[in-house]
Amino acid sequence: MSVQKFRSIEEMNKAPVPESRGSDFERFLRHCARWWAISPKYYPRGVFKFRTIEDAQKAREKHLPLK
Amino acid sequence: MRVLRAFESAGLEYVLIGAAAMGFHGLVRATEDLDLFIRATPENIEKLRLALRTAYEGDPTINEISSADLLGEYPALRYVPPTGDLYFDVMTRLGEVASFETIDAEVKLVDGTQIRVATPAALYRMKKGTVRSQDHVDAAALRERFSLKDEG
Repeated sequence: MSVQKFRSIEEMNKAPVPESRGSDFERFLRHCARWWAISPKYYPRGVFKFRTIEDAQKAREKHLPLK
Repeated sequence: MRVLRAFESAGLEYVLIGAAAMGFHGLVRATEDLDLFIRATPENIEKLRLALRTAYEGDPTINEISSADLLGEYPALRYVPPTGDLYFDVMTRLGEVASFETIDAEVKLVDGTQIRVATPAALYRMKKGTVRSQDHVDAAALRERFSLKDEG
């Protein structure tokens, strides 16, 4: 797709997203790969057990991006 | 994909939820984990171990995954493989709300591998009631994209 020009942010946000190559899942994988490259995180390796999903989510939030 | 292929080869009964499942439905956002429900049987948990051993050969921590935990006091586990680039949140039940048996799913085919993915409506039901802000964003996106309505 060529360059698109917009008069406002609102107009830009309403524009359809250009079709990308590959399936939705391939797009997802590419997006994750880019994100991991931009914002690497460190998680301790291994198996961790939780009594509830909420406990698992709290544990996830403890881990911050690598500086 | 390597892990999803290993799941299929091992015969693991699972359903993908979370951001990866949303990706299958065209709602793409980044994530660092694969969330999945697995059928809660000792045989299936052994298949999970087998699949992870295939994908992450030589990682001794996989042996810490036990049926006693997943079928008992710890229905959720996180496995962070040695590669560290992706981790897995594996669940056998979510309170009284969800389990492998209760989540509506569909099979997607990617590069010849069958992947069982929660439907948009099933994802919406799981996400709309949580306290996590990302889930609220996801639920809103699912509702809008698939014109979903609240039940009851």
